[in-house]
Amino acid sequence: MSFHKIWLVLKREYLTRVKSKSFILLTALTPLALVAFFGIIVYINISETEVEKRIAIKDHTHVLAERLAEINPDRYFDVDNTPIDTLRSQILDEEIDGFIVLNDSVINQSKTPQLVHGGLGGISVISAVRSDLRDAIREERLVREQVPDKVREIFASRTGLDAIKLTEEGESEDNTIFASILGFALGFMIFFGILLYGSLLMRSVIEEKTNRVLEVIASSVKPLELMYGKLFGVLSIALTQFGIWILFYIGISIAAAPIATMIVEKQMSNMPQEAAQAASSFDPSTLENLVIDPSIFVFFILFFFLGFMIYSAIFAAIGAAVENEQDSQQFMPIVMIPIMGAYFLNTKVMQNPDSTLSTFVSLFPLSSPINMISRVASSKVPAWELIASILLMVLTFFGIMWLAAKIYRVGILMYGKKPTFKELAKWVRQD
Amino acid sequence: MSVISVNNINKAFGKTKAVNDVSFEIEKGRIFGLLGPNGAGKTTTIRMINYILTPDSGEVTINGTIASPETQKMIGYMPEERGLYKKMKVFEQLMYLTQLKGMKASNAKQAIDYWLDRFEASEWKKKEINELSKGMSQKIQFIATIAHDPDIYIFDEPFSGLDPINSETLKEIIIELKEKGKTILFSTHRMEQVEQMCDDICLFNQGEAVLTGKLREIKSSFGENTINLEFEGDGSFLDMLRDVRINNRSTNFAEIRVLNGQSMQDILKLAMEHAEIHKFERIQPSLTEIFISTVGEDNIKKAGLDIS
Repeated sequence: MSFHKIWLVLKREYLTRVKSKSFILLTALTPLALVAFFGIIVYINISETEVEKRIAIKDHTHVLAERLAEINPDRYFDVDNTPIDTLRSQILDEEIDGFIVLNDSVINQSKTPQLVHGGLGGISVISAVRSDLRDAIREERLVREQVPDKVREIFASRTGLDAIKLTEEGESEDNTIFASILGFALGFMIFFGILLYGSLLMRSVIEEKTNRVLEVIASSVKPLELMYGKLFGVLSIALTQFGIWILFYIGISIAAAPIATMIVEKQMSNMPQEAAQAASSFDPSTLENLVIDPSIFVFFILFFFLGFMIYSAIFAAIGAAVENEQDSQQFMPIVMIPIMGAYFLNTKVMQNPDSTLSTFVSLFPLSSPINMISRVASSKVPAWELIASILLMVLTFFGIMWLAAKIYRVGILMYGKKPTFKELAKWVRQD
Repeated sequence: MSVISVNNINKAFGKTKAVNDVSFEIEKGRIFGLLGPNGAGKTTTIRMINYILTPDSGEVTINGTIASPETQKMIGYMPEERGLYKKMKVFEQLMYLTQLKGMKASNAKQAIDYWLDRFEASEWKKKEINELSKGMSQKIQFIATIAHDPDIYIFDEPFSGLDPINSETLKEIIIELKEKGKTILFSTHRMEQVEQMCDDICLFNQGEAVLTGKLREIKSSFGENTINLEFEGDGSFLDMLRDVRINNRSTNFAEIRVLNGQSMQDILKLAMEHAEIHKFERIQPSLTEIFISTVGEDNIKKAGLDIS
């Protein structure tokens, strides 16, 4: 094994790709997409100050409209004397957003009232109206039953829930939801990275075959040296790209909260009183949750590295076995079935990172690169499981590399016919 | 001492014996031709000399060293399946290939500049291969083969796919290398190319080396048993001849190998009765003829050998 030759192969693989337009574009555009993503989050939070929907209440009970107006004076208004047909045409003319007719039966017999509307733009308004109605009716019934004030207070009280996560460093504000999303996102990136760079490697191997340059190379370099050189070359490309993105993310996640604060403050000074009040419900400091523990990035790189090595060895062997990309299709299930399985199971892992299924898939070496990082980011994984999954991946890598090298060695000199699985098995046995 | 020494090598792929107990020696400063039909085992033998494949048994030594990554550096190899990275710039590509052959970057740069200049190709340096014409990229391929200045050059079917100008260029390169004392091995299924260039030959058929030696000695050992006939008129009389084998025939020319002691004078008489004779010459047999008479007509894969 000549490290100098591996280095030369690696260098060529790396430099020709890194200088390519597609690499530069992908590297630059992804962070831009990330910035846009943050921008949208901030924007959505601020723009929830939109104009309130107007719901007319045709109130035959003569008490509920008043109570509803108490709950939300902007949303509800009494239209006792307006005929229903007029209300209908007002909806169509978009003067009001909807109306409700309330009779005593709603209070006495718990009848379900009807909301007629012209499209409220989302389920959240309807559920808000429903809950307002429940409150108003409950209140009225309690009054009618002459329930003591204390009991009414009990009904009026709403218990919230503040979640605090206990870690060895002490108590911290809980951000389980963000952690789960992060876990899934990192798993997805590893999945995506393995597929993207694995098939890049495969195409690069096939390219040398279709260009007929392979035999010239084989007269200077051992097949295994060539394979290692290409594998580490593509890995370096991937790490460069991920490295740039991670640095960018760290930078932007640290800067996000202060910048958002600045924007919000500026916006509020330009807004009417009312809207500004609503906007203040968005707290820019929640963006501080976006700062990720650096150790998670270390695991991310480690699991990507191991996953890439395992899968790219298979990709390289497939590339060596075939002569063009179409022919590679018949072998792709070898890669696609385990990796897609891991990807789909990742939602389960995200929902319940400590279940038996999650533990199993995060140890199984073909799915652990994707599923283990999800667990690491969203839960506390026992050290032995981490070590076991890493060991299993390393062992699997050597096993698959041994097989792949045999196929690679024979395959790169084979031209003209598409091999079957049976022939591949024969190549492996060939000395 | 031989530069390349091939000793009793065998190579089988599954049940097919691609190379069966082949031995030959190549002396320094000579052009050695490996001849035979397609599928006779030439490329497999060449790959073993290049240490791309290893023999099942027997050994190949280059300058006394058993084939290894070290001996690979002593050889410039242009395979039959040849090509370059399409999306790589000419200069970077040549640097890469030359450095893989063990040359230092600074020396490689000098050698590449020299050869690009020789082929009037310096202005292509920064171009990608897919921007070049086929002929141009063939020239770059030559440079990739010879730039690291090895002692041994191996060309597998070098003239197949070359345009006429580059064929000439390659012949000139081979002759020039020989004059510099380099050793050249090339394989071909086109016999006439060997006649023009080779000092020594090895005939391959079905995985075996059936005849090895100096081209001149082999030819003279066959004696002047062939007639070179040029004529004008109806050539159908050639079909009436018995105990002959006609290898090279056209409307006014025929190469007639005389068999079983058939009298050449009788052939001349018959010819004169039917056509006007422009030339009647006793010559040594052509390599095609030597090949056929060595392996026997029935043992030749018809599709493979180019008997034109």
